[in-house]
Amino acid sequence: MNLHAIQILFLKDLFLSRRHLFAYFLGGMVSSALTCIPNKTISFVGFILMLTVAIAAGIHLIGQLMLAESSEQTRLFVMSLPVSLLDYSLGKISVVLTAYLIPWSTMFACSTILTFVLPWAKHGAVVVLPAIFLFLRCGFMVQLVTAVVTESVGWTICVMVACNVLLNVFLTQLFAVPEIAAAKQSDIVVWPSQILQLLTIECAVIVGALATAIVLQTRKRDLV
Amino acid sequence: MGLVNPDSGSVSVVGQPMLSRASAVKQEIGYFSDDMRLYKPESIGWHMQFVRSLYPSWNDDYARELLTRFGLIEKQVVKGLSHGQRVKTMLLLVLARQPKLLILDEPTNGLDPVSRHEVLTELMRVIADENRTILYSSHNTQDVEQISDSITFIDQGRVVASGDRDDYLEQWKRIKLHAPESWHAPRIDGLQLESSFRSHRVLSMNRYREDLASLLIASGATVETIERMSLEEIFVSTVLRGREEKPS
Repeated sequence: MNLHAIQILFLKDLFLSRRHLFAYFLGGMVSSALTCIPNKTISFVGFILMLTVAIAAGIHLIGQLMLAESSEQTRLFVMSLPVSLLDYSLGKISVVLTAYLIPWSTMFACSTILTFVLPWAKHGAVVVLPAIFLFLRCGFMVQLVTAVVTESVGWTICVMVACNVLLNVFLTQLFAVPEIAAAKQSDIVVWPSQILQLLTIECAVIVGALATAIVLQTRKRDLV
Repeated sequence: MGLVNPDSGSVSVVGQPMLSRASAVKQEIGYFSDDMRLYKPESIGWHMQFVRSLYPSWNDDYARELLTRFGLIEKQVVKGLSHGQRVKTMLLLVLARQPKLLILDEPTNGLDPVSRHEVLTELMRVIADENRTILYSSHNTQDVEQISDSITFIDQGRVVASGDRDDYLEQWKRIKLHAPESWHAPRIDGLQLESSFRSHRVLSMNRYREDLASLLIASGATVETIERMSLEEIFVSTVLRGREEKPS
């Protein structure tokens, strides 16, 4: 394993996606701010915009960083450089994870801070935020595994669509739990046991998907 | 180049195992393929910096010299490059790292005559250094004839012949002669009838010998010309002979 090469490949991909990452960062900030405005319509628009930014960033980053190099034939150029298949694979997975972390953590942090800071926001709502954001991260990880395994834009889009449909079901089910709905409306932060269980499951899915993606990508024999 | 793992056996390049030491081996290799693409939104200068960060052997002065010789502009974005400029940029990125072994797959494909000349001239400069080797794969036999010392012909994934360029050009001859219709070519090793029309016969010979003309005259033919064959003609004859000999 050549750590220097992995680092260079990582920085190269991050640099190539800089404009999009900045756009997602801005989109994350704006949508988070909108969700906290004390107007039901605007805050709902903000919430939808936030989910849209998170989903769009996931779709775009996987497409651009994982799949485009093969279709645009730049992979041959990268593989002609002093990097092994393992270096290339680890560089790719680490940059995709980091790149998605930028809009994801921006939105998560902004939403959490604003929920605490704004006088009209219910502090209790802060407990549903990690559950929602970790669900988005889970969806992204499953899409990443699909992209790694299939290297197919078609299959990855299918899984993205399925994850987005599941997000609606997840939100409906989440707010239907009486303890969670009550905690969300509370002025103080209360962590219902259901949320803690959910967070544990989500973390396990993320770790499992990450391990699967790394194992599958590093065990690949061919890149053509 | 590490894109495909072998089903069996091993690959050793510049004395090192390719699979287990891919990064180290690739420090010594410069690979160019016609199918290779650069990052469209970025400039030539960005690509130079990127490649330089991975190669301690990168020669900045030589890279700048190549920029001038190839008529490229460092700030130019890859998206706006013509095919010739793209090929020259990729060759610049390969050459400036000064590899021991250059693997070039169809480097002059689709180039205009001037760009082709520039590229071949630069490659000839490289092979003037005896410590460096170019493995040059091409369908353009004119280019191969111009820069190669040693040539291997491959047909349908099979090596059909391998040898020195000068030996090919010396050993292969085309013989045009007149002979009566009942004439049969004498049994001489390497001699083969290629075509016949009335009394005209065209033969090819892949092991030329000084007494060939006298042997043909003795067999009843009148030799018109014995001429050298181009590498392309040698390739075609070699492949066709190979296919005839190969059991179907």
